Amino acid sequence: MPFQPVITGLGFITSIGNDRASVIRSLRALQHGFEPYVFLDNPDLPVKVAGTVKGFAFPTPSWRDWSWPPNFSVDRELVRGLAPHGVFAICAVQQALAEAGLEPAQLAGGETGLFCASAGSPFLLGHFLDQMRATRGERGNPMGIVSSIAGTLNFNLAAHYKISGAVCGFVSACASSSHALGYAMDEIRLGRQQRMLVIGAEDMTTESILPFSTLRALSNNPDPATASRPFDRRRDGFVGTGGAVALIVEDAALARRRGARIQAELVGWGQAGDGHSVAASHPEGAGLREAMRRSLADAGIPPAAVDYVNAHATSTPAGDRSEALALQALFTANGAKPRVSSTKALTGHGLSLAGAMEAAFCVLAIDEKFIPGAAHLEEPDPVCEGLDLPRTSLDEAPSLVLNNSSGFGGSNVCHLLRRPT
Amino acid sequence: MESSSSTRTVKPAAPGEQEVALRHLPPVAQAAFRHFTASGDVTALDPVILAILEDYIPRPPERPLAEMPGETRLIEDLGFDSLAITEVVFFTEDLLEIRIANEEIFQVRTLDDLRGFVRRKASARVRS
Repeated sequence: MPFQPVITGLGFITSIGNDRASVIRSLRALQHGFEPYVFLDNPDLPVKVAGTVKGFAFPTPSWRDWSWPPNFSVDRELVRGLAPHGVFAICAVQQALAEAGLEPAQLAGGETGLFCASAGSPFLLGHFLDQMRATRGERGNPMGIVSSIAGTLNFNLAAHYKISGAVCGFVSACASSSHALGYAMDEIRLGRQQRMLVIGAEDMTTESILPFSTLRALSNNPDPATASRPFDRRRDGFVGTGGAVALIVEDAALARRRGARIQAELVGWGQAGDGHSVAASHPEGAGLREAMRRSLADAGIPPAAVDYVNAHATSTPAGDRSEALALQALFTANGAKPRVSSTKALTGHGLSLAGAMEAAFCVLAIDEKFIPGAAHLEEPDPVCEGLDLPRTSLDEAPSLVLNNSSGFGGSNVCHLLRRPT
Repeated sequence: MESSSSTRTVKPAAPGEQEVALRHLPPVAQAAFRHFTASGDVTALDPVILAILEDYIPRPPERPLAEMPGETRLIEDLGFDSLAITEVVFFTEDLLEIRIANEEIFQVRTLDDLRGFVRRKASARVRS
């Protein structure tokens, strides 16, 4: 019998909740996680909203000044090498392990691998480089590199959990954690690993978010209730967020042997490049359309069988348009009409976190039998004609769900998830 | 490379950095450091260095370091690793405005070694 990757555990540190129950409530009720946010103490900046992560504080680059909710445990030995998003990740992994019925010690040994995605910590990296210049190289934090560069998640978590299986970090911007999840599926399917811990995470800091304003990619809408409105005619950019989401992916046989509850199956994934622009999406979503087609082909499933698409749509004018056209080309043109929504309307755009976070939302949709609505959508862009964008969350139990992600350079990754058979 | 006998001082990275650094130490250690800076009494540094160790120790000790025997070893008994020791060295250099060479670090193995070493380095700074 071939190996079948399934998901047995999820952990959430997000703008819409720091546990499974809170996230489900937010997705069902379409409660967003945005707050007014003054970047760099500069009220003149046009960007005024962020998807804040509640209960955590990182007021300085020193871990001694950091705090997190008391129900999570982050050891001193570990925290000194972490970035803020590493703290998020540890808290998410603790939830995922508990949900999967695993002890941390069970991650040790060669049967479990670890795939991570983050952009590193511009917040810490900037501080350490400033310190190096100010002291003319005579001072530095010995943990500066491992806590701040891209890869900090896999460095820290592999050592902390004593993981001796496959360990890797993925860097494809906003498709990063979708790549991590896709390749984790392959590790299971190829029989290389029996279990994969997959994590997407990002800092929720000015240094991670505000640079996107130079691309004119961030919303200038000051109203948290409407700043992120994917597919709406008046959308004007994305709202940044951070956090961490952890997924436990296992071979179905292992999950059944140990009595773990299977929440969803991962039945296909696909990726394709736009071959078009370093920063802008292909105007007709060519790469995303092909990535969706490949994920369906990987699973041997026709477009008409898909019940729900969790769109990448970030609320930027160009990106949402590209995705709408790609969806029409793959689904509408083939007589298929899945429900479509972008949960970034509620969470904001989590960058490297986004793919894993939204894959986990797809698992919740399957496992909890609902479809998240297209929040904040009042006037659908005419380019979305023919797409089914429900304005409220629906008590429908999707069997097949597609998760879309796109990143800089035209990296497009899609996963197909299925209700357990 | 710096020689172990160097007494060249290191400037703090920014004004007021000592006070900022001290805020993580317990009040007793802060008071002891201020006594040292006012009087030059290097024996006042003993509780300061123990507080620095307790601030950087990877795993909190079972009892306060002040209650542990002087021959307690930093690595073998207290669980310090090379990264944590480097953090202690940088912090101590900045706080006392001294320079500690790598070869000096290797000679410090126990709590007594460390107390004696810090007193000698601080004395040299006071005299210079």
